[in-house]
Amino acid sequence: MAARRLAEGGRIDRTQPLNFSWDDRVMTGYRGDTLASALLANNERVLGRSFKYHRPRGVMSAGVEESGALVTAGAGARRDPNVRVTVQELYEGLTATGQSAWPNVRFDVGGVNNLFSRFFVAGFYYKTFMGAPPFEWGSGTGWWMWYEKFIRKAAGMGEASREPDPDQYEHAHVYCDVLVVGSGPAGFAAAHTAAEAGLDVLLVEQDYELGGDYLNGSDYTVLSTWIDALKSAGVRIMTRTTAFGLYDHGVAGLYERVTDHLSSPSSYQPRHRLWTLRARHTIVAAGALERHLAFGDNDRPGVMSASAGRTYLNRYGILPGERIIVATNNDSAYPAAAELAQAGAAVKLLEARNAVSSGVSQTATEHGVSLSLGSVPMRARGKKGVTALQTAVADGSAWRAGSTEQCDLVLVSAGWSPVVNLLSHRGAKPVWDVDNACFLPGDTDEPVTMAGSAAGVWNHERCLVSGQAAGGRAARALGHSAPAIEAPELGGWVEPIRPLYEVRVPGRKLKSFADIQSDVTTEDVRLAHREGFVSVEHLKRYTGLGMATDQGKMGNVIGLALMAEAQGKEIPEVGTTTFRPPYTPVGIGALRGRSVGAHFKPLRRTPMHDWNLEHGAAMTEAGLWQRPWYFPQHDEGLNEAYVREAETVRRMVGLCDVTSLGKIAVQGPDAARFLNRVYSNAFAKLAIGKARYGIMLRDDGIVMDDGTTWRLSETDFFMTTTTAHAVQTMAWLEELLQTRWPDLRVHVTSVSEQWGGVAVAGPKSRDVLEECVTDASMVSNDTLPFMGVVETLLKGDVPCRIARISFSGERAYEVYFPSDFAGVTMKLLWNCVKSKEGCLYGLEALGALRVEKGHVTHAELDGRMTIDDAGLGKMASTKKSYIGNVLRRRPELVREDRPRLVGIFPKDRSEIFNAGAIICAPDHVSGHGEGWITAVTHSPDLGHWIGIGYVKGGHENWEGKALIAADPVRKGNTDIEVVSPHMIDPSGERMRG
Amino acid sequence: MADRISALDGHYNTGRFGEPGEIGVTLSEVRSLTLYQLAAWPDTIDAVAAKAAEMAGADAAPGPCAATLGSQGALLRIEPLKWWLYGAEARAIDPEQGTALELSHSRTHVRLAGPYARVCLNRLIPLDLRGQSCPVGAVASTAMHHVAVTLWRSNNGFELFLPRGFALSLWEMLFDTAVQFGVEIS
Repeated sequence: MAARRLAEGGRIDRTQPLNFSWDDRVMTGYRGDTLASALLANNERVLGRSFKYHRPRGVMSAGVEESGALVTAGAGARRDPNVRVTVQELYEGLTATGQSAWPNVRFDVGGVNNLFSRFFVAGFYYKTFMGAPPFEWGSGTGWWMWYEKFIRKAAGMGEASREPDPDQYEHAHVYCDVLVVGSGPAGFAAAHTAAEAGLDVLLVEQDYELGGDYLNGSDYTVLSTWIDALKSAGVRIMTRTTAFGLYDHGVAGLYERVTDHLSSPSSYQPRHRLWTLRARHTIVAAGALERHLAFGDNDRPGVMSASAGRTYLNRYGILPGERIIVATNNDSAYPAAAELAQAGAAVKLLEARNAVSSGVSQTATEHGVSLSLGSVPMRARGKKGVTALQTAVADGSAWRAGSTEQCDLVLVSAGWSPVVNLLSHRGAKPVWDVDNACFLPGDTDEPVTMAGSAAGVWNHERCLVSGQAAGGRAARALGHSAPAIEAPELGGWVEPIRPLYEVRVPGRKLKSFADIQSDVTTEDVRLAHREGFVSVEHLKRYTGLGMATDQGKMGNVIGLALMAEAQGKEIPEVGTTTFRPPYTPVGIGALRGRSVGAHFKPLRRTPMHDWNLEHGAAMTEAGLWQRPWYFPQHDEGLNEAYVREAETVRRMVGLCDVTSLGKIAVQGPDAARFLNRVYSNAFAKLAIGKARYGIMLRDDGIVMDDGTTWRLSETDFFMTTTTAHAVQTMAWLEELLQTRWPDLRVHVTSVSEQWGGVAVAGPKSRDVLEECVTDASMVSNDTLPFMGVVETLLKGDVPCRIARISFSGERAYEVYFPSDFAGVTMKLLWNCVKSKEGCLYGLEALGALRVEKGHVTHAELDGRMTIDDAGLGKMASTKKSYIGNVLRRRPELVREDRPRLVGIFPKDRSEIFNAGAIICAPDHVSGHGEGWITAVTHSPDLGHWIGIGYVKGGHENWEGKALIAADPVRKGNTDIEVVSPHMIDPSGERMRG
Repeated sequence: MADRISALDGHYNTGRFGEPGEIGVTLSEVRSLTLYQLAAWPDTIDAVAAKAAEMAGADAAPGPCAATLGSQGALLRIEPLKWWLYGAEARAIDPEQGTALELSHSRTHVRLAGPYARVCLNRLIPLDLRGQSCPVGAVASTAMHHVAVTLWRSNNGFELFLPRGFALSLWEMLFDTAVQFGVEIS
């Protein structure tokens, strides 16, 4: 083939030459080129290798359906595999390399696969490597996984960069009245009509230039007229944007390539953008894709669609061949043949039909195209590019071998497939149209209108009318007046198409591809049929038909037609697979948007976050919260630090950020009544200035959450929840008020963000507070006894509320203050704590202290346990009704042998064991055992490792009996004893003192 | 009383950032937020509305999804039974009529303005912000990066009330998004 750039013509900007490299060779193209057109202009033919047989492949189309020329673009961290050269815009410095080949695509050692291709039929790998009956040698998962590595290496679809993606991506939202997909004649007319009717219209075009099929023709005058008209009508336009999916309620997914066409994009711009568009009406004018024909070696470089040949000539100013054979079964290839001949190529047209009227052929023949009726391509010759074409001629209803014609380009048009994908996403099954030999969009009740060739309407004039009709329909559906234009009839060719999917000639063995990218031959389809894979869905999975990156755009209809033929059925009886989003590939980066790195999920900081960091906190995640984990001193690690911190709390005093606890304001005249129904223990008579620990159950009697609730006034309560269940509890309370008890005059409001909170814990905690509040008497033992609440002022006149409650088991207080005062409050409290030889402590020490004390967290209240299981059954009221009260008495929940909360010691006190270990009887270390361990810690107070967990029947049941903490995948077995969960100060003297 | 420290303190750098040329977006934090929630019972909406309007110095309290500017402050109708009183101190409400609750420290108030403020905000917020759907005076509960935020379109631009704990994270996302338009932090 001698493709060459013509001296003039095309929509490229010849004043802007662009250098790019292909397989390390520098070449030149122009602004306005795609990588495909630039490579063609440089007469590069072999651009890829097929993934299974490693057959040489070249450009086969000029659009998104490209199946042959997939390359790797970019380098380093920006290396992208499987880039379709037909949609990659050229830019200065673009680097592209061949893929799936070694040493390169022009000479590929893997090409040897093709010599054995008769063995590599559909299902070869499964049949061969998943077992070889009758001996089943080499079978089994292990063997398959061993083979798989080599198979994957031999196959290939390029290799993505393993470096972190240096680009940014983002999500975006956009709204409009009417979305128009596609900017060909129908899209233009639809957008204009709807906008003229007063609607807010958004037109999206996947190409970098508006025009659709106008861009493939030779007359561009109409383009600028249309674009001006659209702009003056107020149509919003997005180019380089693909509507890749339609979803519920008028939502469309749009994928915008923002900087993929730029040599040095601004670092401030995202590379890709994923739009969620919400439209009241959608008009799909996405055009149609030209189909190939299966004939011998129809995948050779130099075989492409007829419309692609025309596009390269008209849009890019390239004569793609000098001796061109155009093979067609319909009218649409004639303009291409005529224009190529006019541009100087010797063009022969093989017409599958036995006759066409002069109205179809006249222009072509006038330009010197030689026309052969009743002729089709039988086999392409030439290894790395077409050098000749063996033809076949009509022999009754069959074909027989004809002459061999020298050529350097074969253009094929076997009909058109309307792009019905988007409507198919909405569940509207495409309908086979016999007259036009294509699938047409099915009916839908949704506000989606198909227009132009996407609706099966051929030629520009009719597509315009179709677009106007669609725009008017959308306008009227949305209550605007617009002229009622009748949609044109389907089709529009002068002569009917002759349906043709494969050329078979008796006695000739041909390697004809149905799905070129998946290396699926027509024989593969027949083999699948013979082996019983007759359903379309089975055919697809067995052969790979339609499963490549083009998702069957080029090959599906051929495969379906062959299966129909094999079954002796019509195509609609065989059916079609369902198109699913995305229409074309969407970059993973666009899907993740800005949710990456530190923003992978929302990051929640306490108001003393910076203060904690300044004071050396090592942080950890608690849900979305960042919490201090421990405060290492000198070169302490976690273990040394938390033991020191816990020990300091027990001995002196510690200060801990507990802001992450959920905080809910419960207000209203019925607030006490409400709480009394929600908590399992009594709250109706909680005195003002008192706090109470409460446990909420779910309806099914299982514990939902625990926390303390403080009564601030007759009608005002302050509830705290666990960090883990704060959101769930808030939603639960709202649900109860809105659905079950709308009669209660109660408002619940999350005040988790309003209040920063700390725990001041340890024997000297009262001393600390006395020094920090403006009136020390407010925190005396009389004013603020255990479970007492005061609202007072910290020094500096910072308002605060203090409750004397203890999670650590020591004398302790929770102090809450408005969040913006966190910094000054921490400074005040820390100076005082420090002066008392106290410490800052983090989550790890908090955990150690509570495990010693046997206090539960969500690790114990894990959605399976009852209040009795947690050892808190005595708290549950017997005098009132509350949520979960009935179902907690189910027989299954009151069995004596249910797991109960226990403390755990290692039998040998120097041993350690892990949370998550299964507790088993020594003679039966298997299965679910007798219980499990939920949390462990070193106990500074006891001087050895301890744990908390559940054992059947509770510790009384196992007193003096040996048990094993089984941890087979980590530590192995450890002998343990179970004890009361209250491992220190069981009477609570320390916290009440 | 001690000075208030905002969630953005230490991370708030004023100046001109991002794409050169015209300033597309201005971002700013409105400090020292004063915010109260005023809530009614279903049968006391009118009474609380009147009280709320009085506290804000407005003729009447706004209806759903709307805000009203008064001489003392603004009222935002954030839920069927609830208003936010912005910029003014609330007075107590008889519990038989409703409740008042201070939320001044619970939110960080961020303002977006400029010719690309709407476009910028729509990168993060799934709401129709076109003029006819979201005119000046509109109020909405929406979400940004999975976090519930309250939006008020005022005469000054888009006012965002971000939960304080998430404020810095969301501010960073707003800034990262805004640089493509050319952003000024004032």
